[in-house]
Amino acid sequence: ACEITLRSSDTHPDGYPTVEAVKHMGALLQDRSDGRICIEVFHSAQLGEERDTIEQTRFGVIDLNRVSMGPFNNLVEQTKVVSLPFIFRSVDHMHRVMDGPIGDEILAAFEPHDLIGLAYFDGGSRSFYNSQRPIESFEDMAGLKIRVMQSDIFVDMMTAMGASATPLPYGEVYSSIQTGVIDGAENNWPSFESSGHYEVAGYYTLNEHLIVPEVLVMSKQSWDGLSADDQALVRQAARDSVPVMREMWAAREKASEDQVRAAGVQIITDIDKTPFIEAMVPVYEKHVTSDELRDLVMRIQATE
Amino acid sequence: MQQRMIGIAGLLGLLARGALWVAGIALVAMTALVAAQVFARYVVGAPLTWTEPTSILLMGWFILLGAAVGTREGYHLSFDVLLMVLPQRIVRVLHSVSDLVVAGFGAGMAWFGFELLTRTWTASMPTLGLPGGVAFIPLTLSGVLIVIFSAERLARRAAGLKTARFGDEVTEE
Amino acid sequence: MELYVLFGTFVFLLLIGTPVAFCLGVASFATVVYLGLPPLVVFQRLNSGISVFALMAIPFFIYAGDLMVRGDIARRLVALAGALIGHLRGGLGQVNIVASVMFGGVSGSAAADASAVGGLMVPQMKERGYGADYAVNITVVSSIIALMLPPSHNLIIYSISAGGRLSIADLFTAGIIPGLLLALSLMVAAWIVARKRGYPTEPFPGLRMLGVLFVSALPGLILVAIIFGGVRSGVFTASESSNIAVVYALFITLFVYRSLPWGEFVAATMGAVRTTAMVLLVIGCAASFAWLLAYLKVPTAIVDFMQGVSDNPILILLMINLALLMLGTFMDMSPLIVITTPIFLPVAQAFGVDPVHFGIILILNLGIGLCTPPVGAVLFVGCAVGRISIWEAVRTIWPFYLAALVTLMLVTYIPALSLWLPAQFR
Ligand code: NA
Ligand code: NA
Repeated sequence: ACEITLRSSDTHPDGYPTVEAVKHMGALLQDRSDGRICIEVFHSAQLGEERDTIEQTRFGVIDLNRVSMGPFNNLVEQTKVVSLPFIFRSVDHMHRVMDGPIGDEILAAFEPHDLIGLAYFDGGSRSFYNSQRPIESFEDMAGLKIRVMQSDIFVDMMTAMGASATPLPYGEVYSSIQTGVIDGAENNWPSFESSGHYEVAGYYTLNEHLIVPEVLVMSKQSWDGLSADDQALVRQAARDSVPVMREMWAAREKASEDQVRAAGVQIITDIDKTPFIEAMVPVYEKHVTSDELRDLVMRIQATE
Repeated sequence: MQQRMIGIAGLLGLLARGALWVAGIALVAMTALVAAQVFARYVVGAPLTWTEPTSILLMGWFILLGAAVGTREGYHLSFDVLLMVLPQRIVRVLHSVSDLVVAGFGAGMAWFGFELLTRTWTASMPTLGLPGGVAFIPLTLSGVLIVIFSAERLARRAAGLKTARFGDEVTEE
Repeated sequence: MELYVLFGTFVFLLLIGTPVAFCLGVASFATVVYLGLPPLVVFQRLNSGISVFALMAIPFFIYAGDLMVRGDIARRLVALAGALIGHLRGGLGQVNIVASVMFGGVSGSAAADASAVGGLMVPQMKERGYGADYAVNITVVSSIIALMLPPSHNLIIYSISAGGRLSIADLFTAGIIPGLLLALSLMVAAWIVARKRGYPTEPFPGLRMLGVLFVSALPGLILVAIIFGGVRSGVFTASESSNIAVVYALFITLFVYRSLPWGEFVAATMGAVRTTAMVLLVIGCAASFAWLLAYLKVPTAIVDFMQGVSDNPILILLMINLALLMLGTFMDMSPLIVITTPIFLPVAQAFGVDPVHFGIILILNLGIGLCTPPVGAVLFVGCAVGRISIWEAVRTIWPFYLAALVTLMLVTYIPALSLWLPAQFR
C-alpha cells in the first residue's frame, strides 16, 4: 500500500527513544498521507556506523538518518558549536536554543552537503564515570585515563581537564575498564546503563560536560523526489515526533538512573562546574575559528 | 606471441613486487604503531590519539594492495569442486569468465572508489586532519591494479601460458 | 526477486570458480544495480568493512604465526609435546594434538596451525609408518583447537559482528574448556584408530631430556602467559594482544633464538600480507553482502521462520547447528561469522542463549566446516602438507569428525562448559 517507503537508519537498538520516535513519525506520516508514505527503521547499526550512514544518506542510498552531532563536526562546521562542552547551561536551555531560530539556522546549514535537516532529538547530558575514585572536584580528574570517541573536540576537552584522552573502540570499553587498561569513560544515563559499564565503573559524577542534541536528517536526493506537499508532510511529522521523543527520553533516563542506583554505583551530584567551564577557554579558542561561529556561540549563550 | 607475453609478464611482475613491498612495509609500520600505542599508554602513561586511525589507514593499504597482487598470483580462495569434473576446454572458458568478472569488479573499485574519494574529500578526518577521501586511495589504486592483473591473466591464457590458482601452492608460504 | 539476484549471482559465480571475495562483491553489486541504488554503496561498505581496528588482530596473529614457524618457535613446541606424550598409544598422533593445544594457544589461526604443526608432524609421522591419511586427518581436525583457545581472532570478529558489545576477554576465557574438551575427545579418537591400525608408540625420553626440551620451548610457552595475562591484567586490550604476539615473536626469533635471517623475515612478512589480504578481502566484500541482507530484511524473515517452526530451544539450537554446519561446508569462516552472527544471534538470544556461549558454539561449528569438503581451507592446507588428495584424506576422517561433533553437542547443550570459567574472573 505504501507508494513511498523511506528507509531510516539508527545505531541505537530497537526500543530506544530515538528509534521509537522515528517509528512514531512514520505512523503519523502514514496516517496523514492516507497510507502513501511509510518509514522503515533499521535500528542497531544494521546499515552501518554513523560515519558510513551519513555518506549513504548524502549519496541517496538511504532516505533518513538519526545521527549524533559528532560525526558532522568535520563536515558541517556549525555543528561544532553545539558540540562544545558547557555550551548549554542545561537540557532546558538546549531545548530553547534548538527549538528557536538558531536551531533552524543550523538545520539549514546541512543543505549544501546534500542533506536536509528535519528535527533535533535529545542525547541527554554526558558525565564522567570511572572505576578508581569519586570525582568530587576538578582536581580529581588529573591523570585518569578516560576513553573518548575519535573527535577532536573530545580529545582536546579531555586534555584540558587534565585527564588522559584514550581513544578505544566502544566494544572494548567494558573489559578495558574491568582490567584497568582505562579508568573510565563518559556518557549519558541510558548508555551508562545499557552498555553495562556501571557494573565495572562504580563512580558517576554528574558534571554534565556535554549536552549535545542529535539530529534527524534526510537525503537531499530523496527530498527532491517528493512533491512540495509531501515535503511539508515529512517536515511536520518529524517536528511532531520531537515532543514524543522527549517524553520517552525522560522515562528512559529515569529507568536507567534507577537501575544504576540500585546497583550501588556512587553518584556524585554536587560538583562545582566553574573550574571545568574555565578550563574550556583554550578549547573554545581552538575550535571556534570564524567570526560566524563566534557570533553563534554568543547568541547561544545569550539565549535565556 | 608467447615471447612478447612473457616480456610483459616480467614487467607486471615488477609492478606486483612493488605493490607487495609497499604492503609489507605498511604491515611492519602498523605493527610498530600499535606497539607504540601500548607502550605510550602503559609505560609512559600518555596515550596516543593518532595511532589508531593511522594504523587503520595502513591496514587498508596492505589489504587492498595484497588483494590486487592476489588476483595475479591466484591465491584468492575459490570453490573449484564443479571445475574438477568438467572437461578442460570448458574449465578454461570458465576461468576466463571469472577473470572477466574480477576485472569488472576491479573497474568498479577504481571508478566508484575515485567517486567516493572526491565526494568525501571536503570532510576532514578526526584527530588526523587529513581529507576524508584519503581513506579511499588504496581502494581506487587496488581497483586499477586488479584490472591490469586480470587482463594479464586473460592474455596469458590466450597465449597458452599457465595462470596460477588457489591451491596451487600452500597459502601460508 | 532481489534475493534471487543476490543469491543467484553468488552461487553461479561460486560454482564457476570465481574467487569467493569477488562472488560476494559482484553479487552485491548486481543487486544494488537491480534495486536502482547508487553502486558506490557496495564499495563504501567494502572499505568500511576492512577499516575496523579490532580486525587488526587477523594480520597480527597470522604474522605472528608465520614468524613462529620460520623462527623455530613452532618446532620447539612440537618437540616438547613429543617428549611429553609420545609414549601414549598413537604416539605422534597424540603429539600432533597436544602441539595444536600449545601452538593454538599463541596463534589463533587454524590454517596457521595446520601448516605449522602439520608441516612439522606429517613428514615425521609418515616416516615412522603412520598412514598419510591418519596424519592429515589429525592435523586438520586438531587445528580447530587453535580457534577455541585464546587468543582467537575469530572470536574478536564475532564480538564485532555481535555489535561490539561483548567482552572479548570473556569470549577468550569461555573458549578454554571447550577447546581442551575437543583436544581430549580427539585424543580418544586418535587412540582408538591407532590401536586398530597397530601404530607404534615413542619411547619416553627421560626426565632430563624432557627438562631440556621444556627450557628450549619455554620462550614460546611464555607467550601464552603474556597474551592471556596481559589481557586479563589490563596491560593491553584483546586486539592489542595480537600485536604483542608479533613483537614478542620478533624479539625471541631475532634476539633469543637468533633464528630469523633477513630473507626469512621478508618471507614471513610477505606471507602474512598474502594470507591476510586473502582473508580480509573476503571480509570486506562480505560487509557489502551483509549490508544488503540487512537492507532486504533477511535476518528478520529467518527469525520469524524459525519461531514459526518451533519454540523449543533445544530444537532451535539443533537447527542453527545444522544450518551452520551446512554453510560451513561450502564457505570460509570469517565471512560466515560476519554474515550469520546478525542472523542467528538474535534467534538464539530470543530463546535464552547467552551471547558468549553462542559465540563458542558458532566458532566450533564453523571450525568443523573448515575441515570439510568442498570448501575447507584447513583441509586444503592439510592435504597440501601431506601430499594426498582430498578424497584420500576424507575417506578415513570420520572418527575425528565424530569426536568433533560429540564435543559440539556437549558444548551446545551444557552452557556451563563455556560460561563457568569467565564467571570465575568477574
Ligand atoms: Na588460539
Ligand atoms: Na594438530
